[in-house]
Amino acid sequence: MIEAPRQQPPLLSLRGIHKRFPGVHALKGAQLEVGPGEVHALVGENGAGKSTLMHILAGVCQSDEGTIDFNGQFNVAIASERAAQQLGIAIVFQERSLFGTLSVAENIFAARQPVRGLGRIDRRKLFASTQALLKHVGLEHVRPQTALNDLSPAQQQMVEIAKALSLNARLMIFDEPTAALTDTETRALFRVIGQLRQAGVGVIYISHRLEEIFEIADRVTVLKDGEWQGTFAVSETNPDQLVSRMVGRELSLHQRHTDVVSEGQSVLFEVIGLNDAESFRGTRPYLQDIHLKVRDGEIVVLAGLAGAGRTELALSLFGARLRASGEIRIRGNAVVIRSPAAAIAAGIGYASEDRKEAGLFLDMTVAQNVVAAKLREFGSWWLDDRRGRSVAEDFRRRLRIATPGVSQAVRLLSGGNQQKVVLSKWLLVNPKVLIVDEPTRGIDVGAKSEVHRLLREVAGKGTAVIVISSDLPEVLSVADRIIVMREGQIAGELNGAAATEEAVMRLASINLKE
Amino acid sequence: MPETTTTETEKQTEATAKRGKFPAVSRELGLMILIVLLPEALSVMYPLTFRPYFWTGENFAAILRNLAFEGFLAIGMMLMMVGGVFDLSVGAMASMIGVVTGWLMKSAGWPVPAAVLGGLAVAALGGFLNGFIVAKVRVNALITTLGTMGVFKGIALLIGGPGITFLPESFTRFGQAEWLGLQSPVWLLLGLALVAHYGLAHTRFFRQYYYIGSNPRAAHLSGINVERMQMLAFTLMGMIAGLAGIVYASRIATATSTLGDGKELGAITAVILGGASLAGGKGTIVGALIGVFFMALMQNVLIIMRVPSEWQGIVLGGVLVLAVAVDSVMNRKQNR
Repeated sequence: MIEAPRQQPPLLSLRGIHKRFPGVHALKGAQLEVGPGEVHALVGENGAGKSTLMHILAGVCQSDEGTIDFNGQFNVAIASERAAQQLGIAIVFQERSLFGTLSVAENIFAARQPVRGLGRIDRRKLFASTQALLKHVGLEHVRPQTALNDLSPAQQQMVEIAKALSLNARLMIFDEPTAALTDTETRALFRVIGQLRQAGVGVIYISHRLEEIFEIADRVTVLKDGEWQGTFAVSETNPDQLVSRMVGRELSLHQRHTDVVSEGQSVLFEVIGLNDAESFRGTRPYLQDIHLKVRDGEIVVLAGLAGAGRTELALSLFGARLRASGEIRIRGNAVVIRSPAAAIAAGIGYASEDRKEAGLFLDMTVAQNVVAAKLREFGSWWLDDRRGRSVAEDFRRRLRIATPGVSQAVRLLSGGNQQKVVLSKWLLVNPKVLIVDEPTRGIDVGAKSEVHRLLREVAGKGTAVIVISSDLPEVLSVADRIIVMREGQIAGELNGAAATEEAVMRLASINLKE
Repeated sequence: MPETTTTETEKQTEATAKRGKFPAVSRELGLMILIVLLPEALSVMYPLTFRPYFWTGENFAAILRNLAFEGFLAIGMMLMMVGGVFDLSVGAMASMIGVVTGWLMKSAGWPVPAAVLGGLAVAALGGFLNGFIVAKVRVNALITTLGTMGVFKGIALLIGGPGITFLPESFTRFGQAEWLGLQSPVWLLLGLALVAHYGLAHTRFFRQYYYIGSNPRAAHLSGINVERMQMLAFTLMGMIAGLAGIVYASRIATATSTLGDGKELGAITAVILGGASLAGGKGTIVGALIGVFFMALMQNVLIIMRVPSEWQGIVLGGVLVLAVAVDSVMNRKQNR
């Protein structure tokens, strides 16, 4: 279908885009070109800069350098979301931006409802336009008056898409649109995209699911670490080539952790046939048939793309998420875990990925945070604050937590130091099994290597450590063994020489069963 | 990390720390200063109309007597707000339990100690009901306790009509007793405050409320049984409110069905003045007492100054919003 570069002038052309956030150079000269009526896929691992690039197009943030040409205008400035809308760029965000208590119609035409005299909303027109849009996205059986909360998550996502369509944009951006969709809705979405292509609208399509890209895209651009890795016609490439472009990082051998725990070590932690209570697309448990073994002193990394179900698995093992079935064994003995308290008592610790929301007591002191999961240790009746502070003081020295003192409120610490406080809390519990979820997200390089060293030290004392990480170099350097998850299932296991970034990405993004 | 960089960051954070620690004590401290300065200033300004009437032992005893009832409620309310919830039904609960206890001893003919225990049992049950609905069924605390407030008030009126009078002497003897110039409700309040203070400040069990109020999700993931602790907080609150109702019925020898009307708002005002936050995780029992004392003092001062009683609400409301606004502005400056 595409033999040569497109003849018509492109609809959108991004060149040399740079974006820096404090501590991160998110985009380093990224480029992208989309023609009218083209479906252009954008791929890359987590943190490659896809979302940042789309945020620049949608006016959520502005680039530091680079030019954007759009629809015949050269070097346009997109200063706000409103400016993007006026140019004719619409984006369907990953996170839904809808109002649950309002009707479908009011959601689609939020603050843009058609009006009659005296500013009264023209309900008939509103409902008629909504009806047409709903039909377009395959929701013809949904009434415009229905409250959004009464729809399924997948239907809500389609309403979000209908909302973007109602803007009649020249360029439509879909950021992981199918993550929450069932197969029926995915079909409807692809039909919509086909119609947009016919109408000459440009489409940017971001997805972790490579098979979708080969189904609907014309061309695909690969980003890695904020840099452009190439643009290919879909007909001239294949999933393997894309994956190697997405990772392709030169990795010196010494970075790889080689002291692999021998197969002979006894199994400390075992999960047998775990199934989730929640369902995925209404057809199967979200977490399905999970089997897992971790040996004494072993660090197992759970790798996978965002939404692969790794955090859900951790919460499930920690008793904070309902299981439908499955057995958890510690040293061969089955343990009953129905609450975090039971998990802690059984010897499992879990440091959450979201430090601020689920890990820390921000207004409380370092010492109070450190003792939080083990209050019992500090007095069965009276709480011995002095001993709590002295224990926290030990952790402050050992982990080098930069704080003037352990009576400091945690809120005032930097991200890396906050993370060390969370880890201290769990080290104090001295668990047999420690699960750490994205332990180095958002912390600086120095703190990162300290955290890695600490995890190795913990494992060295015989603890079974499970690390969840989306950072591929971290996955490879920390792990004794890598387990890759995909859509709530275990996609495969890698260790030794077989463990490369490419192998991890392939397992994480290509459905080998299909 | 080399030692030098650590100390550098330490110095930086130390500066922010000093500023950061200040507001935690400022509300209590500010109120204390006001409590000391206000009567002093008025004494200087009105040496004849204020000074001789305010600075008497009898006047202080009156202030304490007047704050005792709301003091009970404020102690329970502080416990709740540290844990991140609150209870609007406490005033109605106090009315209801006073009436229930009076009814048990007068109409049902129970002996006095049994009637008191019976009243407290009903209070515990009512409080537990609140807690169950909030923690297990997960109905918002405002809605739940607004509803049960109406229910409790209605039950009080159903059982007691306007009130139950002429309660037995063996019951009223306790509430009217005096010791060292102070009435027994004041002593009971001090006793309760002491226990509550030590509990909330020093016991492992009650300190869990600070964790729950500060971040319920993190508390849950740290192995704290958040639901059970919340149900317990409501149950204790119910019992404390019930106790207040019984003590007052004893003091005035009458169980009034409207005794607690509006008192829940007074208690919430007092604990917020005393350092609690609607977001939870903050406050002390000492703060609750300071808040209650400040409110009683204002009331007393206004009466001595012959300010029409309509002004009480205006002054207290103004002080409440002002105190919280000052805090909020100061916090925002710090976080910058």
